[in-house]
Amino acid sequence: MSVTLQLELLLGSVCLLAVIFYMLKKNLLSVKYSLLWLFFAAALILFAAVPYVVYVLRDILNIEIPVNLVFVLLFCFVLLVLLSVSVAISQLAEKAKRLAQSNALLEKRVRELENKLDQH
Amino acid sequence: MRTLVLIPCYNEEENIRSVVERLQATCPDVDYLVINDCSTDGSEQVLRENGFNYLSLPINLGIGGGVQSGYRYAQANGYDIAIQMDGDGQHDPAYLHRVIEPVAKGELDMCIGSRFLEKEGFQTSFMRRLGIRIESALIRILCGKRILDVTSGFRACNSRMIAFFADHYASDYPEPEAILSATLNGFRVGEAPVLMRERQGGTSSIVGFKPIYFMIKVSLSLIVDRLAFSRKGGACK
Repeated sequence: MSVTLQLELLLGSVCLLAVIFYMLKKNLLSVKYSLLWLFFAAALILFAAVPYVVYVLRDILNIEIPVNLVFVLLFCFVLLVLLSVSVAISQLAEKAKRLAQSNALLEKRVRELENKLDQH
Repeated sequence: MRTLVLIPCYNEEENIRSVVERLQATCPDVDYLVINDCSTDGSEQVLRENGFNYLSLPINLGIGGGVQSGYRYAQANGYDIAIQMDGDGQHDPAYLHRVIEPVAKGELDMCIGSRFLEKEGFQTSFMRRLGIRIESALIRILCGKRILDVTSGFRACNSRMIAFFADHYASDYPEPEAILSATLNGFRVGEAPVLMRERQGGTSSIVGFKPIYFMIKVSLSLIVDRLAFSRKGGACK
């Protein structure tokens, strides 16, 4: 890994970390979903600051160029995030469905009570 | 036995009134609940003006989520039997008792009104029949249950089945998926012969080449369902 790439990577990951913290502060991102991103940003900083980790991992996984390892890990991480987003959406959809149903059941009760009151 | 007829309704302003009135005239002893799935036409107005018993969903949930709210209502109000019947006039309330009978006698947990058992009445288009056949075969492979009319929305359930559906009801392709999940959870599912009519007004949601696309999606969902959920025998007790 060249020094230039190392610096770029470091700069990029520090920016990412700053953006994550900014979003957390502004309540745009909940702590629950920020954990995965924080972990990822920390790993990127580790790779950029201590390239030795990348070299060792490259030897273990038998990948020719160290930077390819960074790309592979990046790709895996993106997949992981996408999957977790799908999970979050599915859970939200289920909750929204339950809420809509409960709302409809309550609306019916309110409507019937109002009709009863009108009759008196 | 307290019986509730669930009538899902999405943009059925032309049909819903005659469907409910026919039901009341044919079976005065049963309660009914129309589930208006956030219709964009005048369905809700028709329901309100006629003083029908209805549920009004604030957002469109699709047939699965809509029917499930009906099962939740049936469970909350202690009904013994709930019957689904389409809001487009395809299902004749004259056959209601035929569908209820096996459930009321305790022979089945869910009974599906089937137009293919006696092959009478409206048999739908060739493409759709083909699709239904394939789904039927697939369900037989996946859980060993032979059901002919897997897409029929004319079905009766007992209180145990109601409680199960109030908690777990597929939202994407609920008719075939409900058969699979009910069978896998140890419920007894069967069919009773009924006659169906062509829908009276409005348009069906599945036309043209859509049946093929629909069939592929349903098949994949069923296979995924089967892979994701294992067979449980305890629910029957």
